[in-house]
Amino acid sequence: MLPYPLLLLYRNFKRFKSTFFINLIGLSTGLAGALLIYLWISDERSFDRYHALDGRLYQVLENRRTAAGIETQGGTMPLLAEALRREMPEIELVATTTPVPFFPGFTLVAGGQHLDAAPKYADPAFFQLFSYPLLVGTPATVLRDKNGIVLSEALATKLFRSPQNSLGKAVEWQMADLKQTCLVAGVFAGVPRNSSEQFDCVLPFASFKDLMHMNETIKWDDEGPFNTYLALKEGADPAQFQAKLAGLLKTKSAQAQAQGRTLFVRPFAAGYLHGTYENGVATGGRITYVRLLALIAGLILVIASINFMNLFTAKASRRVKEVGIRKALGASRAALVGQYLTESVVMALLALVVAVGLVQLVLPQFSELTGKPLVLRWEPQLVGAGLALALGTGLLAGSYPAFYLSGFQPAAVLKGKLPTKAGDVWTRQGLVVLQFTLSVLFIVAVVVVNAQLAFVQHQPLGYDKAHVLRFETAGRAARQQAAFLAEVKKLPGVVQASTVLGGFLGGRHVEEMSWRGKRLPVGTMLVNYDLLETMGLHLVAGRSFAPQFRADSAAIIVNQALVAGLGMPDPVGQQLDGARIVGVVRDFHYESLHEKIKPLLLKLDPTINTVLAKLQPGAEQATIARLQQLYAAYSPGFPLDYTFLDADYQAQYVAERRVAVLARYFAGLAILISALGLLGLAAFTAERRRKEIGIRKALGASELGIVWLLTSSLTWLVVVAIVLALPLSYLLMERWLEGFAYRVAWQWWYFAAAGLGALLIAWLTVSVQAWRAARRNPVLSLRAE
Amino acid sequence: MKRMIKTENLEKVYRTEEVQTKALNHVSLTVEQGEFVAIMGPSGCGKSTLLNLLGLLDEPDGGSLQLLGTETSRYSERQRAELRKRSLGFVFQSFNLIDELTVFENVELPLRYLGVGAAERRQRVEQVLEKMQLLHRRNHFPLQLSGGQQQRVAVARAVVNAPPLLLADEPTGNLDSASGHDVLGLLTELNETGTTVLMVTHSEHDARYARRVIRLLDGQVVLENSRNQF
Repeated sequence: MLPYPLLLLYRNFKRFKSTFFINLIGLSTGLAGALLIYLWISDERSFDRYHALDGRLYQVLENRRTAAGIETQGGTMPLLAEALRREMPEIELVATTTPVPFFPGFTLVAGGQHLDAAPKYADPAFFQLFSYPLLVGTPATVLRDKNGIVLSEALATKLFRSPQNSLGKAVEWQMADLKQTCLVAGVFAGVPRNSSEQFDCVLPFASFKDLMHMNETIKWDDEGPFNTYLALKEGADPAQFQAKLAGLLKTKSAQAQAQGRTLFVRPFAAGYLHGTYENGVATGGRITYVRLLALIAGLILVIASINFMNLFTAKASRRVKEVGIRKALGASRAALVGQYLTESVVMALLALVVAVGLVQLVLPQFSELTGKPLVLRWEPQLVGAGLALALGTGLLAGSYPAFYLSGFQPAAVLKGKLPTKAGDVWTRQGLVVLQFTLSVLFIVAVVVVNAQLAFVQHQPLGYDKAHVLRFETAGRAARQQAAFLAEVKKLPGVVQASTVLGGFLGGRHVEEMSWRGKRLPVGTMLVNYDLLETMGLHLVAGRSFAPQFRADSAAIIVNQALVAGLGMPDPVGQQLDGARIVGVVRDFHYESLHEKIKPLLLKLDPTINTVLAKLQPGAEQATIARLQQLYAAYSPGFPLDYTFLDADYQAQYVAERRVAVLARYFAGLAILISALGLLGLAAFTAERRRKEIGIRKALGASELGIVWLLTSSLTWLVVVAIVLALPLSYLLMERWLEGFAYRVAWQWWYFAAAGLGALLIAWLTVSVQAWRAARRNPVLSLRAE
Repeated sequence: MKRMIKTENLEKVYRTEEVQTKALNHVSLTVEQGEFVAIMGPSGCGKSTLLNLLGLLDEPDGGSLQLLGTETSRYSERQRAELRKRSLGFVFQSFNLIDELTVFENVELPLRYLGVGAAERRQRVEQVLEKMQLLHRRNHFPLQLSGGQQQRVAVARAVVNAPPLLLADEPTGNLDSASGHDVLGLLTELNETGTTVLMVTHSEHDARYARRVIRLLDGQVVLENSRNQF
């Protein structure tokens, strides 16, 4: 025997099968969408939260005043950690590390094996601060020995078969023209996926200082690229510490004080989601996407709930008599509200079961889409969230019908006639308008996001990104870089080649420069000969770097943004901070289109190691094979890991591409659910107006006339929704587009397409029902009355 | 003898945008405990409106309405629901059974609202169904029964919680004469065991089962007489 509410639901299902399925499909797809988003959000929120000291763990950040405003960055000087340890008693542990990624092309060599690795140099406290469990070694001592290295379990197993077996074994690391031998001092389990930094070996920061001769050169005046992490003692007041820290730099360096450099701390785990600063103020970061998706999940559930409300109240005329009877038998309003809410909550729970099945079904695709290996694990949190979602949806969806139905006077409804109140019709129509407003909003979002992505694809970048191969060199190819590069250029299929520091795309180290009293933050790109030719950069004045000009080691090429920023009338031949300008290159997008093209200078450095090779189109595979052969001859055993610049370029828009795909899916979901609701409502309207249709047909109305009669009122609702949605979508998408320095211009057809799309979907949905009603034999309708 | 119903100048007005209709105009009447009273009159005279007011299914626009010695005209919705479930039973012309519930579940409904436990509910429902000779139909749905059987279910539901006052609105209106006779027999039987019965009817035949008749015309009481005065 079923419990009473389930029994009622079952019997209602039998009586109103199509309504039941529309509700089930709507609620379950809505809940499935919300659950998927929940999984994504909880994964985002889990990043960097697994450390035992989480809550006391902080990263030191620095604000720097520049001509363009306050710039915030995680780069600090290693002197800082030492000073903090000495001067701040509220600190329990502190460590400096190199940021990740910092070392391109770092290779570990042992027993004839060459493995690419992502290294991190860190102070001894590193493994005490962060919870990366050690399989071999102890946290407090594993980084003490300058010659030591701590490998991840995976690396240790690959190189030495097992973590235990690797202890004390010699490993050589090579990077560009540098190499050093060290001994394995420990093995850690590895970095979890939900870590904002991925690395697989840790070396003592002291050895890095030696390598770079830092002890002789570092001073407080310098700006550093290193990260400083600390853990406060239990009970220490972060606000008080913050206040002390803010005043630290000015006691150490007059220059730092003059530059307006100040330090502050941010909880370590907050960095992942709240990593963006504008003019010294935290403005969000990935949290924007978390909030956006949470909003989408909420809206989808609202749309699904509206279906439930509308269909429930629409069929209320069939249930009002029941309300009257129950009231006559003594049911209080509260009891009836309880009954209908129970019904909707049970319905939502049923939908939850279906939703879980749907989630299981689409999770692999969703994981691929979001780039996260998400799994549905029956943890109390997930179960709680699922139940809370279903309960919330059930209550939301059931509340209006419950209060609406239970509010009637029994005498008024006992005859089975629904007292028509204008307000009820308005409410129902208002809900349909709300549904379609949200749907149109989603459609506009899809259109605009895709238009912007197409714009990003086709925007002239100022360079030619096609067929450009990028790779790091190591071993002899790095040590004899000039000879290697000369041979690369000679390979058949290679059009041109050069090198650049780190890579062609991405932000550059920025320093303030001055010319005739004007100051400007300028980025620096270290390049080799032939870079302009390899990348298809256009000179607008002067010349490119060339070996025959010996003085080019002190020469620079600048971009138009720099010329404009400093207001140079005739830049070629001018001196800028001791370097002579020999050429002006046309502005090119070395960063993503989110950023404006900033002042940049290219500086010659023939020793740098990231190779860019322009290949002849059509023969890429053969050319790559030749390159691999050449590289193997120079650096036997070293893997040649290459990427195409085109792919690097696309990688800058991974987030946008994901938003585009997600927007498409969720827009589809919103429209599907809204259309389902409309279908149910149309069926109901046709049913209720059956007699009217019969009379009209008997009096000579055509079938087309009846179809128009039934579709016109719903058409108007959709038109109102479109009118409401368009300005709203303009405002929302304008905000999204503001994140791009270069963006599409609004086109009238974005709105037209969205509006027409919504209208077409609504028409198709409603006319199916309208046709059925119009074709019905009027005699049957009239006899039924 | 306890007074079951007492109304004084009871009024009910129906309003639409343009028209105002006085459905009940200063109706004053009393019904004592144990009586079987019929309210008669032509269509539209206000019989059903009066019954709805007496059954607290609707609110009066004026006058006083005492049920079981208590003034109810200012009762809140909650108080009215409370009184309905404890003291009133209803039988309607169109039976008003809930189609999605079985015979057993329909009869059980008032007991659920009273918060009676499952075991006792079962016992009491079976008892009353047996008395109405409907026990074998307990798992049927209303639409599977004849009109007479449906009305017997409705009577069973009305009396399952043993209310002191039973209100019947044209209880035989949708029945053939044999079934109608059955139902009126049941009401008489209930009245003889102590239940006060107030029945709205336009049938002189049905009214003869009552011991007193109140006649309404255009919302006003025009005549009261007892059975021996027919």
